[in-house]
Amino acid sequence: MANYRCPCCRKISSDHHDLARHFLGQTDSKHKDWLKTQGLSYAQLITWQVTEFGNKGYDTLAEVLEKEAPKVE
Amino acid sequence: MSEYSVIGKPTTNVDGAAKVTGEAVYTFDMTLPNMLYGKLLRSPHPHAKIVSIDTSEAEKLPGVKAVITGKDTPGGKYGLWRRFHELADQEVLATTKVRFIGEPVVAVAAISEDIAEKAIDLIKVEYEPLPAVFEPMEAIKDDAPVIHDGFENNINNTRHIEWGDVDEGFKNSDYVREDRFTLFSQHPAYMEVHNTLASYDKGSGRLTVWASTQSPYFLQLGISDALKMREGNVRVIKPHVGGGFGGKNSTMHDSVNAAFLSMKTGRPVKIVFNREEEFTATEHRTAMHLAIKIGLKKDGTILAKEVKIITDGGAYTGLGATTLYLAGTFITFPYKTPNYRYDGVRTYTNKMWASSVRGFGAVPTVYAAETQLDRAAHDLGIDPIEIRRRNAMTPGYEAPGQYMVKSCGILPCIDKMEQRVKEKWTDLSKDEGIGFAAFAYMSGGIFNWIDTPYAFSGAMVKVNIDGTVDLFTQASDIGQGHNTVSVMICAEELGIGVEDIRLHPADTATTLTDLGAWGSRETLMNGNAIKAAAGEVKKVLVEVARMKLGENIVYDLEVKDKRIYLALRPERGFSYYDIVKDAIKRNDGEPIIGIGHYTPHRKGMISPAYGMGIQAVKAKVDRETGQVEVKDVITVHDCGQTINPLGARGQVEGSTQMGLGFGLCEDMLTDNGMVLNPSFVDYKLIRSRDMPQIELIDVPTYDPEGPYGAKEAAEATTAPGAPALANAIYHAVGAEFNSNVLKPEKVLKAIREKEKKGR
Repeated sequence: MANYRCPCCRKISSDHHDLARHFLGQTDSKHKDWLKTQGLSYAQLITWQVTEFGNKGYDTLAEVLEKEAPKVE
Repeated sequence: MSEYSVIGKPTTNVDGAAKVTGEAVYTFDMTLPNMLYGKLLRSPHPHAKIVSIDTSEAEKLPGVKAVITGKDTPGGKYGLWRRFHELADQEVLATTKVRFIGEPVVAVAAISEDIAEKAIDLIKVEYEPLPAVFEPMEAIKDDAPVIHDGFENNINNTRHIEWGDVDEGFKNSDYVREDRFTLFSQHPAYMEVHNTLASYDKGSGRLTVWASTQSPYFLQLGISDALKMREGNVRVIKPHVGGGFGGKNSTMHDSVNAAFLSMKTGRPVKIVFNREEEFTATEHRTAMHLAIKIGLKKDGTILAKEVKIITDGGAYTGLGATTLYLAGTFITFPYKTPNYRYDGVRTYTNKMWASSVRGFGAVPTVYAAETQLDRAAHDLGIDPIEIRRRNAMTPGYEAPGQYMVKSCGILPCIDKMEQRVKEKWTDLSKDEGIGFAAFAYMSGGIFNWIDTPYAFSGAMVKVNIDGTVDLFTQASDIGQGHNTVSVMICAEELGIGVEDIRLHPADTATTLTDLGAWGSRETLMNGNAIKAAAGEVKKVLVEVARMKLGENIVYDLEVKDKRIYLALRPERGFSYYDIVKDAIKRNDGEPIIGIGHYTPHRKGMISPAYGMGIQAVKAKVDRETGQVEVKDVITVHDCGQTINPLGARGQVEGSTQMGLGFGLCEDMLTDNGMVLNPSFVDYKLIRSRDMPQIELIDVPTYDPEGPYGAKEAAEATTAPGAPALANAIYHAVGAEFNSNVLKPEKVLKAIREKEKKGR
């Protein structure tokens, strides 16, 4: 089964939703800047996550990570 | 008969006599020869660039010995979250801009307080005001002013917790409700203000600091980081402390500025805050916006819970990032929650920063959860006690990836409460109501944001030839009675009396590291370290006694009541004092020394153990004025094995006062970042004559991780007072509240709205 590697650090996760959670937990600029390259805003994702019930912020990022995060065996 | 000689016996505080006779020395009381007095010039702006500072007139004033600005300082940033460098965001003095009203900009040392104050008045600071933001919901917007560079949308910290399948849980629920709350802040309101005496020795390059702190170790690190000194060259001594309640964990401006002024002048410097400085520029409880959604079955069983929190962090981090985590944790306690999701964000705002206050993370969140649960119970037609019983955690309960609960007395607490309320409050008069709230809290945190390489707590025990014991521990008694608990644990382990032990507390130069008094950690963590240290000594004494007895190794020896004897034949044994003499002789004349330490391992992410219970409040509401009278309070508490019942009772009474204050009257009013009521005249506390009777019922359990089974006691009880009160009002007059501070005008408005709806 393919695992997902964080595009910004060495974190490997078996699930792109889990990787999204890791990603938004990081406070360094490397992760935030990568989001910008994907047309996403860190603040917007967090705002969705804390102002609306549900997982919209993570789901949005997970969709992108599913396509863009390097796959590792 | 109790198996213990000391543990569990009501014991007066070992330092009680000194305190009540005024002999106990607090930093506030201390002076040193040649001491100077320090004062701070503070910002009048919530957010502004510092354009220029002119200190020339102040420097000319006779008696002024030093004037420093941020540019004079070594420039070290510091803070409790030092493992994450960007969150160690405090400065000794603001260098380029100020971020809240009251932020220190210049510090002065002079030969008297009056001269220091005059010098402050002579300093001219030119500011360029910047747009400011005070509300977390505004701070997070794209167009909000940036308070710290590099923190997009003023997001200081985030936290996500999730287990189970939350969406599926809600889908399977018969009843789902959402509630939104705004929870206001509260000042810790300790009696002794922040104050520090610092003395720098230029010859050795070493600094000694006496301060009113909850953690000498945190202060040692804060000062060494801020002033770029070697940690070992900063010695912190904590004299008696007149209360902390979470507000004295961070290194504050009194300490770093007294230290730096002493380094500059070569003379001891003392800085004492006044009460106005306390209210405007020291840490307070974290205010928050909170949304909570709960899904239940018809029978009241919780299937899913989802919580969203935005906290008003203020200008710096402090322990606010920890508060965010604990908020998402303790809102689930003490109930089984099979599916749970939490998202929290802490925002920077242009106010004094919010941090830890007694029961941090739990007090506002328990208010939301417990009032919501009563509303759900009402809608489902279930008794408030019954819905709590139905969902109560049981021993061994685990929240996947987060926490595990070993000892767990919540069910017997609920049963006991039901029985006691039925006995005691048989008749309710008109407009009287009874409200319940369950609670739980940690016994110290399994967090290392401070990035210590040391054990979380250490202790050393030295036994002298006459049997007296010197106990060295860095743990902090800040008025909660830990000095007494320390001595009791050591006495129990060595089978001696508390009068045999001399305690040497809270000096970073002579004691092993302890992370301080926060999150109810000292009894369990330091207690374990002391027990281990005393246990080392006990092992030596038992071996000596065994050799003297010449008995087979299979016979157990008991160490109790100042004797060491065969457990099954108590008449065969020796006096403790005789064995000590023999042991020291056999040890080449050296005293017997034991060292113990404790660090939690494999205990989940939060805490090794949890105290818990339930509180009931009986209140009467005046429908004409909105005035609420708290008539009576019953608390049923599982704190494992209580070490000192007298101390625990005192703590329950104090925390109940604070919890009811959070619910009823304590209100930090601000306008554009300025605190409007910075005095005890205008900031209303519940006073002793306004306090109801508090009945405390102990439901003992045994926690395998705690010393003698002990765990958290009486910090958890800060949380239930406010929601139990709100629930009592709800049951009395039907008024619902989605915020704390239930002043008469708010209660009256809610009653009128309820009446309108009823028509």
